[in-house]
Amino acid sequence: MSRFASRREFLRDLGLSAAALPFVLNLPSLAFANQGQRKQRLVVLFSPNGVIPKNFWPDEEGPLAAFKPILAPLEPYRDRTLVLNGVCDKIQGDGDNHMRGIGCLLTGTELFPGNIQGGSHTPAGWASGLSIDQEIKNFLQATPESRTRFGSLEFGVMVPDRADTWTRMSYAGPNKPIAPVDDPYQMFGKLYGRLRDQATLRSVLDDLQGDLNKVKTLVSAADRQLLEEHATFVREMETELQSAGDLTLNHPVPELDPGIKEENDNMPTISRMQVELLVNSFANDFARVATYQITNSVGQAKMRWIGIDEGHHELSHEPDSNETAVDKLTRINTWYCEQLAYLVKRLAETPEPGGQGSLLDNTTVVWTNELGQGNSHTLNNIPFVMVGNGLNFEMGRSLKYNKVPHNRLLLSLAHAFGHRLERFGNPDHCGDGPLDKLTA
Amino acid sequence: MKSVCHAGLAALMVVSHVVPTTAAEEPNRGAEIYKQQCASCHGGKGEGVADAYANPLLGDRSIGELARYIEKTMPEGEPEKCVGDDAKAVAAYIHEAFYSPTAQARNQPARVELSRLTVRQYRQSLTDLVESFRWSNRVKEEHGLKGEYWKDRKTRKEDRVQERRDPVISFQYGEESSVPGQIEAKEYFTRWTGSLIAPVTGEYEFVVRSENAVGLWLNDMWGKAVIDATVKSGDEKEFKTSMFLMGGRAYGLRLEHFKSREKTGSIELLWKPPHQQLEVIPERCLSPEHFAEQFVVTTTFPPDDRSVGYERGTAISKAWEEAIISASLEASVYIDEHLNELAKTKSDAGDRVQKLQEFCATFAERAFRRPLTDEERQVIVTKQFETAKHPDAAVQRSVLLSLQSPYFLYRELSGDNSPYNVASRLSYSLWDSIPDRELFEAARKDQLKTPEQIRNQAERMSRDPRAQAKLREFLHQWLKLDQLQDISKDSEAFPDFTADLVSDLRTSLYLFIDDVLQSESSDFRQLLLSDALFLNGRLAKFYGADVPADAGFQKVSFEPQSRAGVLSHPFLLAGLAYHSTSSPIHRGVFISRHILGRSLRTPPVAVAPLAPDLHPDLTTRERVIVQTSPEMCQSCHSLVNPLGFGLEHFDAVGRFRDQEKGKSIDAKGTYITRSGQEVPFNGVRELAEFLAKDGETHAAFVEQLFQFLVKQPIRAYGDTTRDELTQHFVENGFNIRRLQADIAAKASWVPAIEKTAANVSP
Repeated sequence: MSRFASRREFLRDLGLSAAALPFVLNLPSLAFANQGQRKQRLVVLFSPNGVIPKNFWPDEEGPLAAFKPILAPLEPYRDRTLVLNGVCDKIQGDGDNHMRGIGCLLTGTELFPGNIQGGSHTPAGWASGLSIDQEIKNFLQATPESRTRFGSLEFGVMVPDRADTWTRMSYAGPNKPIAPVDDPYQMFGKLYGRLRDQATLRSVLDDLQGDLNKVKTLVSAADRQLLEEHATFVREMETELQSAGDLTLNHPVPELDPGIKEENDNMPTISRMQVELLVNSFANDFARVATYQITNSVGQAKMRWIGIDEGHHELSHEPDSNETAVDKLTRINTWYCEQLAYLVKRLAETPEPGGQGSLLDNTTVVWTNELGQGNSHTLNNIPFVMVGNGLNFEMGRSLKYNKVPHNRLLLSLAHAFGHRLERFGNPDHCGDGPLDKLTA
Repeated sequence: MKSVCHAGLAALMVVSHVVPTTAAEEPNRGAEIYKQQCASCHGGKGEGVADAYANPLLGDRSIGELARYIEKTMPEGEPEKCVGDDAKAVAAYIHEAFYSPTAQARNQPARVELSRLTVRQYRQSLTDLVESFRWSNRVKEEHGLKGEYWKDRKTRKEDRVQERRDPVISFQYGEESSVPGQIEAKEYFTRWTGSLIAPVTGEYEFVVRSENAVGLWLNDMWGKAVIDATVKSGDEKEFKTSMFLMGGRAYGLRLEHFKSREKTGSIELLWKPPHQQLEVIPERCLSPEHFAEQFVVTTTFPPDDRSVGYERGTAISKAWEEAIISASLEASVYIDEHLNELAKTKSDAGDRVQKLQEFCATFAERAFRRPLTDEERQVIVTKQFETAKHPDAAVQRSVLLSLQSPYFLYRELSGDNSPYNVASRLSYSLWDSIPDRELFEAARKDQLKTPEQIRNQAERMSRDPRAQAKLREFLHQWLKLDQLQDISKDSEAFPDFTADLVSDLRTSLYLFIDDVLQSESSDFRQLLLSDALFLNGRLAKFYGADVPADAGFQKVSFEPQSRAGVLSHPFLLAGLAYHSTSSPIHRGVFISRHILGRSLRTPPVAVAPLAPDLHPDLTTRERVIVQTSPEMCQSCHSLVNPLGFGLEHFDAVGRFRDQEKGKSIDAKGTYITRSGQEVPFNGVRELAEFLAKDGETHAAFVEQLFQFLVKQPIRAYGDTTRDELTQHFVENGFNIRRLQADIAAKASWVPAIEKTAANVSP
């Protein structure tokens, strides 16, 4: 288990190559101090294998009066929740529904033909376009006012260690899937590794100075000059590190329990850790966009901690008539909703640094899925549940659309950031532009 | 790249017009005035006179400033006695003779200087330091990769149809399968494993071509793929990545190929080595042996000083310090990521902390090339484990401390001949790296005392691939291959002289050098005398040899009169030539400096070469004679030109010719030795035969190799060292590998260093 992201990765994340980088440690601050504008943020949270429609969708369009069981954990945030029914993934082409479900979910475009063979249909490869989270990230990173250290962060929980169409949701471009980081320690290293490196470096400089002083006595007067120069550089480094300072993070570095192994039964703990890191990274303005992928399309989590021994995907194939399965699937989905609710809670509890209100006032979390329903494998009525007020949508409602393509929703997300795209993904599905009814 | 090459050419053009050291007249006049008017107070060499003006004359004023100062104030009380041109002349003399920092440096007796690790040494030391905690392996005789052929991707034992050695990876299966008759064409999977041997240090580009699914792992062969196209997606057929590799080292490699749905199958593994063209990775650079991952630091370092002809570490800068910090952080993070493996422990082991402490102590010991004192152990190990919050954090601190310590970064901190210093000198001379376990143990047992003991170690170590890589790198530098990077020629006159051909030529020269080095006799003279060239089909066609068009590289002998070792190697001849004509001056300067070790100054005036089309009836030789006829040119060009004329049988692309512009080639020349003897020769063969048996050549080679290996001036090791080593070299049949060991052994013992001397500067 690696506790820290590699330095190379770290430099890449800074958007700097080692070559262009005289010295990374003397940058004044980790966070960017662009406090002028309102910070808008987006999180896309993914859970797999569809939902149990009757226990998920609100009956009525209009104000959210009550939640069905799966959405019950969101009760405290009912007035900040928006449920969209009737949004469909209409992307056709290669790949089975699980593959297209996740691969086209945020990209809105077809998969390339390839060699990944699903349960049915033709085999496929990666998505042929970038995903909306990356599109929005690129948009935000293009302006100094909204640029952040990472732009976007891709979190995961128990994503299998294999790169295929079922395990990737986010794309930097055609054929460029982004692997979510599902090891919280690795994510910690990525976010705070530099702080730790600075601290370590500072802690050894004194001893180093001592060494240099000692060796000076060993060499001839002519050679001493070289060592004196060296000592001066070390002193300068010390001063620079001190003035770079005890970095003022908006939010303290989270403490992670050490030694949590990446295994099925630790999912609840890992999920909490990742939520902490996600909320922290927002509070410190490391990124404005995040994805949070719990398992993967066709995910096989065995939720023993709520008394379910079967794998999720396996259960999701059971017919509606199997009441035990329906009950278990409802509880599984409820557990996923609890993760959403916990994330929302932490966002709501965390004040917006340098601004008014809480992080949740400026963040919208979109909870979604690769399928509408597990046993039918339908790509219609993909669950889209939004919580939070980052995108200025009118919340506290249930909306019902008539089979609109989900590309239009992707467009809406971009538009909410002021990024007025006319099309995203397959243009054939962007006809009528962003979804209506979202804003008041 | 482009600009670098042009700069290289510009430098060549400047050095090609040269003045002799003694020709400037001003210093003589200045010296005379100094002697008459100044020396009584300042001393004959500016050292000062006790009762008059005691301080030595030294500083950093320019000649002009110095002249104005003298004009106004000197001699004391009578400044009118030395004004105008006299003041200028005496200023120039003082400046040159002892005043300026360069003059001071020149006048100081040569000594072994405190040096930091050069960039190359630093990189290699870090890699070997980490590797010393892992298993290691050696490349064996056999080359190519191990190929395992399966029916499908599941790689079940029973589905493995064939295992064999594949010399290169370039397969066009078409609609057939990978093993027709035994595997169906519908689906098949192949895995190649082994390693890749980097011939030189630099950035390599790798390309895998396939319409199927592929994955490439390099260095970390069981870790993360550097090319991951195991998911076939869309119609991409070419996948690229690049990597910095150190010459002479082997890097683990794994390549996987999976054909399933696609109609056809094929796979090719190519690379583009530094300064060369894309090619299928040749068999000689592949080995079926597996290797553990090597830690390769990615930090960019400022280049080392090379002003004296070899890289050395006698200066530091802020940029260097920053690079050191960045690189040591990089190493500490890497070590942290692989800590349990390197420290041979487990996360839940009861004795983990103890194991980590041992690791830290051993790491520091290997980095410092000697055992730790108790006090050092306290600071580097005990204290860090006491103060850090977590044992892993303590390791990181300890590693950082070791890697930034002067005991790691500097060499010759104490100039004594303790066994550990001897060991460290041996390993840095031969490998540019830390001692290996065997050498370190020899030092620990005090078995580096007698010349025989040292000699035996040096000989053992010179058989290591790192020693061979260092020798190879020296020869490349000796032949200026690092500066000849972008050779292109007049495409009308030489339409077939393509970039691919130039790349082949570079390979050809590399192969020739390796062939001489690795031969039993490793005979230096063969570098000058061999009548063979390594040619493939393409080169053979261009240079007129009988080799099949599609043949790989092979050794081809020529008529001895027409080819003689490196002197007539087309890569050098083309590199030391103009766009469309040869250049006797470039070639002559190369022979004077690199082979004969003569020092030449830069030309007195910048001169543009005479354009050939302004003198359409002159041959190159005639044109050069006209160009360099002025008296001020002759003192150097009388040395340079005739040497270059000896190669006039070779045109701008290194092809042999009998005529130029309808006139017979005149390749006669004369060399006047340092002792004044005149040596006439005609053509490359006679020139080469003279050089190969000439004492100047031998001594020059010994001196250059010594300084390249040791990174210190050879004079610092005693006045007779060069001659003694040269004599051994001759006695040993000019064996280059033995010379390398000889030099390392010699330089492992440093003459007593005067600690108080040479301290005259303020």
